[in-house]
Amino acid sequence: MISQEQSQGQSTTAGERTVMVDVRGLVKSYHHKTVVNNVSFSVNQAEIFGLLGPNGAGKTTTLEMIEGIRKPDAGTALLAGLDVRRQRSAVQRIIGVQLQATALFPELTLLETLEFFAALYPRALDKRKLLSDVALEEKARAHPQDLSGGQRQRLALAIALVNDPQVLFLDEPTAGLDPQSRHMLWDIVMRLREQGKTIILTTHFMDEAHLLCDRIAILDGGQIIAQDTSAGLIGRLGAQATIDCRLDGRARQADIEALEGITGVLHTNERYLIYTQTMQPTLAALLAYATTMSIPLTDLQVRAPTLEDVFLELTGRALRSDA
Amino acid sequence: MIKRSLVLLRTNFIMLTRQRGLIISSLGLAVISMLVFGFLFGGSDSVKTRLGVVDQDHTSISTQVISQLQRSDALQVFTGSNSEEQQALKNGQRDAVVVIPAGFSQQLVQGNARLQVSYDQSNPVTAASTQLTVKAIVDGINSKITHQPGPVTLVQQAVAAKNLREIDFITPGMLGMLLMWANLAVGIQLVNWRELGITKRLAATPLKPLSMISAQVVARLALSLVQGALLLGLAIWIFNVHIYGNIGLLALVVIVGALTLLALGFAIASFVRKTEAANSILLLVSFPMMFLGGSYFNVNGAPSFLQPLIHVMPLYYLNEALRQVIYNGAGWNAIQTGVLIMLGWIVAAMLVVWRGFKWL
Repeated sequence: MISQEQSQGQSTTAGERTVMVDVRGLVKSYHHKTVVNNVSFSVNQAEIFGLLGPNGAGKTTTLEMIEGIRKPDAGTALLAGLDVRRQRSAVQRIIGVQLQATALFPELTLLETLEFFAALYPRALDKRKLLSDVALEEKARAHPQDLSGGQRQRLALAIALVNDPQVLFLDEPTAGLDPQSRHMLWDIVMRLREQGKTIILTTHFMDEAHLLCDRIAILDGGQIIAQDTSAGLIGRLGAQATIDCRLDGRARQADIEALEGITGVLHTNERYLIYTQTMQPTLAALLAYATTMSIPLTDLQVRAPTLEDVFLELTGRALRSDA
Repeated sequence: MIKRSLVLLRTNFIMLTRQRGLIISSLGLAVISMLVFGFLFGGSDSVKTRLGVVDQDHTSISTQVISQLQRSDALQVFTGSNSEEQQALKNGQRDAVVVIPAGFSQQLVQGNARLQVSYDQSNPVTAASTQLTVKAIVDGINSKITHQPGPVTLVQQAVAAKNLREIDFITPGMLGMLLMWANLAVGIQLVNWRELGITKRLAATPLKPLSMISAQVVARLALSLVQGALLLGLAIWIFNVHIYGNIGLLALVVIVGALTLLALGFAIASFVRKTEAANSILLLVSFPMMFLGGSYFNVNGAPSFLQPLIHVMPLYYLNEALRQVIYNGAGWNAIQTGVLIMLGWIVAAMLVVWRGFKWL
């Protein structure tokens, strides 16, 4: 993980790049509820940009406004200099879209589906080549409903690539996939970045965002609450390590916050997340505190801080309800 | 652009042909019904329509009308007083009674002449045959009056000796029913695309919704024509059903009928969000039409409280027009009212679509 983090750092610090996507002040409300509230960001060419946030944070709505599927109440998005509100068709010719669940015509085979989508664009890539790129060449005559979850996501990706787009949108591309399928998709996405494609993806998987994304915007309640590289975001915690442990009801948060080197403490019931700048003294002090107070200390883990910790620190909530 | 339209059209057509449920409910049901009714009520002898004519006008024009009727091979004409002929009708000795009222010839000159016709409704097939025959005569007289006043001559072709068998009656009805099932279902298709999120995926491409909808409409029209041709081909091949009318006019009726039912399908899709709900509404609309629209039975003899319902059903007018053209060899005059009513339905349905249809 550490080495990956370094390689990410290098790719984002490499010289000036053209801005490919420029999102300015997007706002969208439904039934008087603001779902997306003044979202702005820009993405450079050949960059993978991640929108990270819990369900209902406004990730999908944000993407759909940039893709020209939904009209924003305010703000706009420029893609390769084209305004999606005024030049929607022109924008849609240079983008590829994978929706959260890409629904396809059940009556058509994979090849026919690709032929159909190819016909919608002035020029298109070779259909069989696309299928083999996503390892589906043997399924050319199958129908979408005969595919597994991972295969279906790869098909959705192949369709998104049919017009050789400059900008690719992937909405939770690995949701519900097994680990093997996730890794396969990650490989394809990284290969696409090497080809110079600009990619915007949403996810609620920390590891995915950390591994794939050059830069990340954390979305919560329709707003961007932080935006940086993965390393930059983690650095903001000011912590060297995260101590994850369980202490019973007698432990007091104030006591723990007073321990040496602490930068932050979060706890839900008996589970504590303790962020520290000085791992060794803090750990010794914590053990001493538990021993003195006769509080059983269990499930102890010490690890490097992750995006999950950043999110918790920023929102006070877990990113996924099951996390 | 042209290549894209062709791909859109071909894709929509392929998708329709692969919907087993659609093919079974449209062509399958129609063919099976036709075979069952055709074989079950197969043979029937050529019987002339027994027509009682009551002349209350007693002018040269009314005499001309009667002599024209007597000349027809399809008719066996009796003359008598109104009470005699009505009694004969009740006794089953006449299939229909036509009354030429006093003042008919004067009204004819003024262009508002009316003939009173009573039918024997006990046998639906005979009744339908009689109605078609008499209607053709009346239409013949009407067109003569409105366009070229003078001696009344009937269109002999329309009153040619024909024997309406069950299969002759049911074939146009099955064609109408086929068109209903094949085209009304477009509503389910659209609601389903929307519910699955297919329309949303398409909204992320440069494709305009109208292009996709147009392709779907043209594909359904093509399917209607192909299925209709198959059904009529079978009817001709197996049962020697004869198409008396103009094939071009028949195609026109098929297309207008299909468009009417497509428009209704779009209207359904305009106020329903769930595929299941669209299905229920489709059944709610199509089953009454299937039975009361005159596909299987002659509904002109249906109880009077049902008549208003029957006479709003687009399928009723479609079936009538199909029978007129296929069996009766009728021209535009005989079907124009029905066609106009169907066009009215299209306009009404499009208003609903315009108010409520959502692509996403």
